[in-house]
Amino acid sequence: MSQSLSEECTPLKRKYDACFNAWFEGYLEPAVSASANSEQRAKFAQQKAAEFESSCGKIWQEYRQCVQKAVKDKGLDVLLDQARAENPLKEPPPPPPLDKSRS
Amino acid sequence: MKFYSQSFLYDDPWSIVSLAYLLRYPNPYSSHILSCDVISRDITPGGNLLTTRLILKTGSLPRWAPKGMISRAESWVLEESEVDPLGKVMRCTTKNLDHVKVMRVEEHIHIRQLENGQTLQTTEAMFLSGFGWGLTKRIENYGLAKFKANLQRSREGFFIILDLIRQSRRQPMTMGAPSSFLASHRALNGSDANAPAHHELATSRDSTIGNAPEDSPRTIASTSRSSVWGKLKSWLRPG
Repeated sequence: MSQSLSEECTPLKRKYDACFNAWFEGYLEPAVSASANSEQRAKFAQQKAAEFESSCGKIWQEYRQCVQKAVKDKGLDVLLDQARAENPLKEPPPPPPLDKSRS
Repeated sequence: MKFYSQSFLYDDPWSIVSLAYLLRYPNPYSSHILSCDVISRDITPGGNLLTTRLILKTGSLPRWAPKGMISRAESWVLEESEVDPLGKVMRCTTKNLDHVKVMRVEEHIHIRQLENGQTLQTTEAMFLSGFGWGLTKRIENYGLAKFKANLQRSREGFFIILDLIRQSRRQPMTMGAPSSFLASHRALNGSDANAPAHHELATSRDSTIGNAPEDSPRTIASTSRSSVWGKLKSWLRPG
């Protein structure tokens, strides 16, 4: 697993990544079907969030605090705020239709 | 603005391709990735996973770049992704945070499961320079050319991770992950071991040049097991 932007966060990052990866592998293959209604989806979301919290919640908080501090120390928070303000991307947009490109 | 787009088809299920995509760093071809951090991660009420990562990359400048055009050949990249495990769709957008006056590069990745069980990945990239001084076009062309040249390498790296995940599903092995990562592995059908793993689609095109698609449809066979393990040995370290 790769380095953190701050050397002191790297051990925390590795621990967190390992924990997250184990959780993520199960998350990617849910027992719930694609046709789940919103209630089933909500239940799935809660269950997965609880699972994550109980196995990785603690290390995530430690790692996140470490990275947040490092981001501030390096002045990257300004860069991030700028990017958000210019392009408040709530979720990545879907790819544009294929034909549009030939202009 | 320059634009690039390409599609790719995998025989693997969506969950494996998406896992490989998120785990793609580090790999033997990613020495330009200096750091990669998760800065936010949330599950939406509908069960989607939203992740923001901050990545530091090194790069090199072209010889014709004016002195002081950028102060250092490193760039912070923001990666925002959304995974919908029920709909089997993953979207990922990356863009550079600094040097944006010289050039903005935005890449959109879309990975989704098809009805026949294959997985389709669409990659789109945009290059926009506002530098001026008669260099705008040249900078954009350079960005596009570099992107295309690096695409093969990043793919090689991605395939190594993909192959590693395929194998971890078939046989117990350690990936530097806790044992719970392996406890969940299932014996997938072993029959796909020698099947061609991914196909490049004919939709690759380069809108800026307007010529015929340069990448004809082709099938790339899986990298052979021994060479993958050879590469991995030099890369994976114990602990």
